[in-house]
Amino acid sequence: MIAFENVGLRYGHGPEILKDLTFKISPGSFHFLTGPSGSGKTSLLRLLLLSLKPSRGTVSMFGEDVTQLDRDRLLQMRRHIGIVFQEFRLLEHMTTFENVALPLRVRGQNEASYRANVEELLDWVGLGDRMDAHPEVLSGGEKQRAAIARAVIGKPDILLADEPTGNVDPELSERLLHLFAELNRMGTTVILATHEVNLLEKFDHPRMLLNDGELTIHD
Amino acid sequence: MTEGGLRLNWQRQNPIVPAGSVAGRTLMLLIGIMTFLSCVTFGGVLLVQKSALGWSADVGRELTIQIRPLDGEVLESNVRLAISLAEAVPGVESARALSLEESEALLEPWLGEGVDLSDLAIPRLVVVRLSDPAGVDIGRLESEIAGISGASVETHAAWRLQLNTMAGTIVISGVLSLVLILLATALAIVFATRGTMATNRDIVDVLHFIGASNRFIAGEFQGRFLLIGLKGGVAGGLAAIVFFIVAGTAMSTVMPETSSQQLGVFFGQFALGLSGLLGIIGVVLVIAGLTAITSRLTVRRYLSQIA
Repeated sequence: MIAFENVGLRYGHGPEILKDLTFKISPGSFHFLTGPSGSGKTSLLRLLLLSLKPSRGTVSMFGEDVTQLDRDRLLQMRRHIGIVFQEFRLLEHMTTFENVALPLRVRGQNEASYRANVEELLDWVGLGDRMDAHPEVLSGGEKQRAAIARAVIGKPDILLADEPTGNVDPELSERLLHLFAELNRMGTTVILATHEVNLLEKFDHPRMLLNDGELTIHD
Repeated sequence: MTEGGLRLNWQRQNPIVPAGSVAGRTLMLLIGIMTFLSCVTFGGVLLVQKSALGWSADVGRELTIQIRPLDGEVLESNVRLAISLAEAVPGVESARALSLEESEALLEPWLGEGVDLSDLAIPRLVVVRLSDPAGVDIGRLESEIAGISGASVETHAAWRLQLNTMAGTIVISGVLSLVLILLATALAIVFATRGTMATNRDIVDVLHFIGASNRFIAGEFQGRFLLIGLKGGVAGGLAAIVFFIVAGTAMSTVMPETSSQQLGVFFGQFALGLSGLLGIIGVVLVIAGLTAITSRLTVRRYLSQIA
């Protein structure tokens, strides 16, 4: 599903942030991406999200070399990828329902066609009674669950998460991890970036360890 | 609220670009002012052009024959001869000699009232009305009048040329002013749009991450700016219409009658008419469209730059 070969990344004329990354991700797998702050986790996630192009090497996703794709094809491909951010990045002026439905709305679907699905998903993540609330009145855990729901409403093949438990307490972190695991069991490939060692020890998934831009994978 | 997965009381969705995040009021005021200036310029140009065309047409329907008093010539006889010769030319409707009193009235603005002109050798004037200004044989008239000693024909051609040149200059200046105002409006919209995009960078990023196309994002921002352009444009257009109504009313009621008449001669009573109103509506639509197109192009350019 995802294959990196000798991928390097630098910003402008700066030093290489990611160095010679070569790895493959199988469909339906769950990987933790970990490493100290500044090791390049977010940059790798941005490569996986197709919002950056590598400075060298090749990145293949869904059987296509994404470094050669035009903008429209990249856009189509990005719709197969869901993303969850540490800081949630919900739109403050929209309700929980509207935030979660946003990926479908930007694809031109009308509300009648997706309302039932969005409501069902919000019930599933435990926000069935908060769908008319705005983000400012949601707790950290509720915001993150809304962000996860937004990431998966479009039924992505790949779900990326950048420190999704960074702004919630340890108990809720574990519950969120179970939510990601459940999504993985339903067939979604998950790559979850975190530097919380406690969480990593509770879940038995392969770890991609980034250190100073170099990657090692521990199965 | 929710029953069986179906919500019965659907609410209208919030816009993706929040209304408050666009520099709305300032931009709307700016567009309103620019529209007002554009409409006033347009209306002024239209009034001057209409008056100049009317004037030129009026003057073009008349000729003047001037007969100077000469020793050995009977002035009254020459005047009658000039009238009969003029009336015989095809395309001439009538010819009439101005009385001495009328001639004195013409000179009054320069010489003052109560001046006795009987001792002065004042030329006599014959006003020739043309039924067909385009078809009249001016050459024949001039050659026949040339046979009368001291008589000459004045076609007002030089004066009409000067009037048309002046009106043309005003029209060109007005059109240039309109173009410059529209250009300034477009530049202001570019700056406002870029500011709005920078303010909403988070929203743009989220939209990109969830797979929104640049076209979709540009459309969302364009919708906001089109609304602002329409509101500002309508306000400016209405203000311009009120301005012309007030100016027209003031001219006919507040100003002294003579001043009012003089202004009326020049501006045609400040009445825009249907063409003026349609023109103002056109200006409003142009400015609203300009706002939408400029903002869309700016957004597309901005999105390309950050991609």
